[in-house]
Amino acid sequence: MALAVRTDLVAAHQASWQHVGAPGARFTAEQRVRIAEVARQAYLAAEPSPPWVRPFGDAPLDVAYRLARHAGTVTAEFYEHVVNAEPPAGMHPLDWVEVVGVVIATLPVVAFHRAAGLPVPALPPPQPGAPTGLEAAELAPAGLNWVPVAAPADRVASVVQALSALPAEHDNLWQLAAAQYMSDEQMADPLWNRGTLSRAQMELVAGRLSLIRECFF
Amino acid sequence: MLSWSSTTEGHPADLGAIARGEGDGGVAHGRELVAFAEAIGGFDDEVLAAARARLVAVAGEAFMVDAAAVAANFEMMTRVADGTGARFPDDPEGFRAPLDAELGIGHFTSAR
Repeated sequence: MALAVRTDLVAAHQASWQHVGAPGARFTAEQRVRIAEVARQAYLAAEPSPPWVRPFGDAPLDVAYRLARHAGTVTAEFYEHVVNAEPPAGMHPLDWVEVVGVVIATLPVVAFHRAAGLPVPALPPPQPGAPTGLEAAELAPAGLNWVPVAAPADRVASVVQALSALPAEHDNLWQLAAAQYMSDEQMADPLWNRGTLSRAQMELVAGRLSLIRECFF
Repeated sequence: MLSWSSTTEGHPADLGAIARGEGDGGVAHGRELVAFAEAIGGFDDEVLAAARARLVAVAGEAFMVDAAAVAANFEMMTRVADGTGARFPDDPEGFRAPLDAELGIGHFTSAR
């Protein structure tokens, strides 16, 4: 018998796939799907490239690979190096934000299917069209993140403002979080749960995996 | 979050299960959940299959599916934090220091 997956979770993952396959603010859909392919490859690789290797010689793909497989090694120094270099070794800070957005749109779908023992779905076909150019109305440097964020900066938690420079990436992040974990409103109640895992059980999984990934935050 | 939720539930959790991957953390099915999280983090599909099967055996398929969803969420959130250099606000009173020490996270490259 097939494994039953909540319909809201299926819908959230399908929406994220559509998001990956659509033009972004700065990259075409074809570029975004290529970034997603690299992230999936990095995450599933039996013998990944070490973090200090840039396997593609192309900034968006190299950053996607390192973030997907060696996220805990991404430092401010590496970020500054990339955003201050010329292409193909470097890229604009908002390109960096979009790469993060595509990686985090891809990995949870791949990770969920692998974890649950389900086939990892094929990536979506890229949709035609030019990059949308849609950015936050005003950008600001942040004290709580390396990347630029929607102004005013640092009024909310760093993970909340992290992708706010590019609203489509920000929105996709939080629609995924609501289905996979919980919404902001649900988080305020320490007893809220879906009737399967208790909050403490959810936080045990979250905490242990984050520690394994050596995520300081 | 674990301390807050488990204390509110009336059974304060042992953070050692997070820090060392040992024990059940004082949480029902904690041992199986920690093993599942370890396996997801470890990239060995045979180990993952065994951990998944143990979790299903003690808690059921729907429970495992939602545990996988939580794990997927934190594969995502760790990349958001590490990819954007997310930081906590200044903590002049040192409220975070005991937790950081217990979890042993101050030396992480991502802390730089």
